[in-house]
Amino acid sequence: MSAGEVGAGRGRPRTIGLGGRLSIPVQPRSVVVAGATLLVLVAAAVATLTLGRLGIPLAELPTALFGGASGKEAFVLERLRGPRLTVAVGTGLALGLAGALFQSVSRNPLGSPDVIGLGYGASSGAAVVGLLWPGVIPVPVGAVLGGAVAIAIVYLATGSGFRQPGRLIIAGVGVAAMAMAFTQYVVYVAVRDKASVLSAYINGSLSARSWDHALTIWLALVLLTPFALALSPRIGVTEMGDELADGLGANPKSARTWAIVLSVLLSSAAVSVAGPIAFIALTAPNIAKRLSASPGANLVLSALTGALLLVLADLVAQQLPVGDELPVGIYTMLIGGLYLGYLLTREWRKGVL
Amino acid sequence: MTGEDRHDDDWCLRASEVDLGYGGTPVVAGLSLEIPRGELTVIIGPNGCGKSTLLKAFARVVRPQAGTITLHGRDLHGYRGKSVARRLALLPQSPVAPERITVRGLVSRGRYPHTSLLRQWSPADDHAVAQALERTNLTELAGSQVGELSGGQRQRAWFAMVLAQDTDIVLLDEPTTFLDIAHQYELLELCAALHREGRTVVAVLHDLNQAARYATHLVMMAGGRVVAEGQPAQVLSAERVSSVFGLTCDVVPDPHLGTPMVIPLPQGDGVEPHRAGHGVPG
Repeated sequence: MSAGEVGAGRGRPRTIGLGGRLSIPVQPRSVVVAGATLLVLVAAAVATLTLGRLGIPLAELPTALFGGASGKEAFVLERLRGPRLTVAVGTGLALGLAGALFQSVSRNPLGSPDVIGLGYGASSGAAVVGLLWPGVIPVPVGAVLGGAVAIAIVYLATGSGFRQPGRLIIAGVGVAAMAMAFTQYVVYVAVRDKASVLSAYINGSLSARSWDHALTIWLALVLLTPFALALSPRIGVTEMGDELADGLGANPKSARTWAIVLSVLLSSAAVSVAGPIAFIALTAPNIAKRLSASPGANLVLSALTGALLLVLADLVAQQLPVGDELPVGIYTMLIGGLYLGYLLTREWRKGVL
Repeated sequence: MTGEDRHDDDWCLRASEVDLGYGGTPVVAGLSLEIPRGELTVIIGPNGCGKSTLLKAFARVVRPQAGTITLHGRDLHGYRGKSVARRLALLPQSPVAPERITVRGLVSRGRYPHTSLLRQWSPADDHAVAQALERTNLTELAGSQVGELSGGQRQRAWFAMVLAQDTDIVLLDEPTTFLDIAHQYELLELCAALHREGRTVVAVLHDLNQAARYATHLVMMAGGRVVAEGQPAQVLSAERVSSVFGLTCDVVPDPHLGTPMVIPLPQGDGVEPHRAGHGVPG
């Protein structure tokens, strides 16, 4: 039909492809925003390595990075800030992805792993296996179990799954509080009042991270990201309601189950290396959505935004002369708490809550 | 066409002895119904009669608790997800427009069953979307946000999404609800246009007169069962409307098209219904 051609040229999706076999639609705006986010992330990473008393001078950073580090620089790069930065980026990516997946399938900007107690549940699991029975079960496995239990309790407690924002938040707050109390109990029983240990399990912290932590989170990312990306078109369709998604052959129930499983695994991996760092998973996807101005889960941009937020928060944690270097989780909680307040107000005005 | 002229091939969707429900007592019990190919079938019935549930079962959203539903002679639940969606499209009653989605973005989602993991977009998809926008007069609004459209425009956008799915069978669950009267007819004309080009359309409608005017095959349901089916003039009688819907009425021919028209009678003034000779008794 010739009439069909009229509108074909304007505003249609651009695709990136490879010889006709591969063809993925992309939003030009999302690509630009993702590129800009990546640039700022690199700048924040450079700042993390160079600033402060122990910082590697900017002029010497390239040599240091490409194998020429020695003495103090090598120590800072290989033992202190290198692994810390690598863990921060990986954790931020994982939290951004986990949040985007969960918010998309719960059709709820507040349906984020950190709001609904998943992070604190995972932290409880990590504390139990790490402190009570050290060496028996690997910490990441304990985190996944704890996270899964927390999310199952929330799911059952709402009586309506993850749909109704108000109930989800109330159940989540309850589960988070119980999980936090449980974690405090475990830490107290196991190590008495060792403040830094407690803080790592309650607030989340990036201090004294090792390359083992970096390996754990990046391995989780390498294994899980392909599944998340493959799921992306299906969860995009699922956003339009189960009946329509069923009609389009997207099998929304299985899409939702997979997205939640991936979200639990990614958040638990993040918790097992950095503790329950709050509000990255909540804010990153919302900011990404706003920046890209496009529907769907915006997985790549959410992950990049998460990494950027966490690296920036950790930069502040390291450089701000407050106390004896507060854990990064306190800063994310401060920023995220404000953002949560804003979101709650907005949803309430819209009449969703 | 009447029943005896048909071949097996003429039925594209067939429900045999199905029980349908959402757990608990079935809404529909032991129902059998065939959807004739190439017709515009309209299902009517009072609230709670199971007409929407039946439509959802045809769309594979609700799985029968008993009995089978076949599509082109094969069990509907034996098809793979996307292959059903390339043959049959559903416009549900309350779809959710994702935040910040444009009209074009929404319509593009209708192409989902035609895409694959590696090949998520193709020129054929572009073409189908452009055509769907054109047919629903939305080309000018393609870049607008769905959330900013009027009710009528929004429903046209959803309709365009179903068009872009490019299926032989289109199922519509009360597509005119919440629309202004002019927009209701605009949408029904779109349905009629689909039927004219040879597609099979099945719609659940609330308004009896709209059903009678646009249906080429009318199905009347009550209490989870089919009460009558056939041409509108055969199905719509004053007696049936009275017993199924509890409405005393007269059925007269539409002055323009001759299709049956239901005229509710004023209550309680003792007017004896005048038979228009349209209804089949019983």
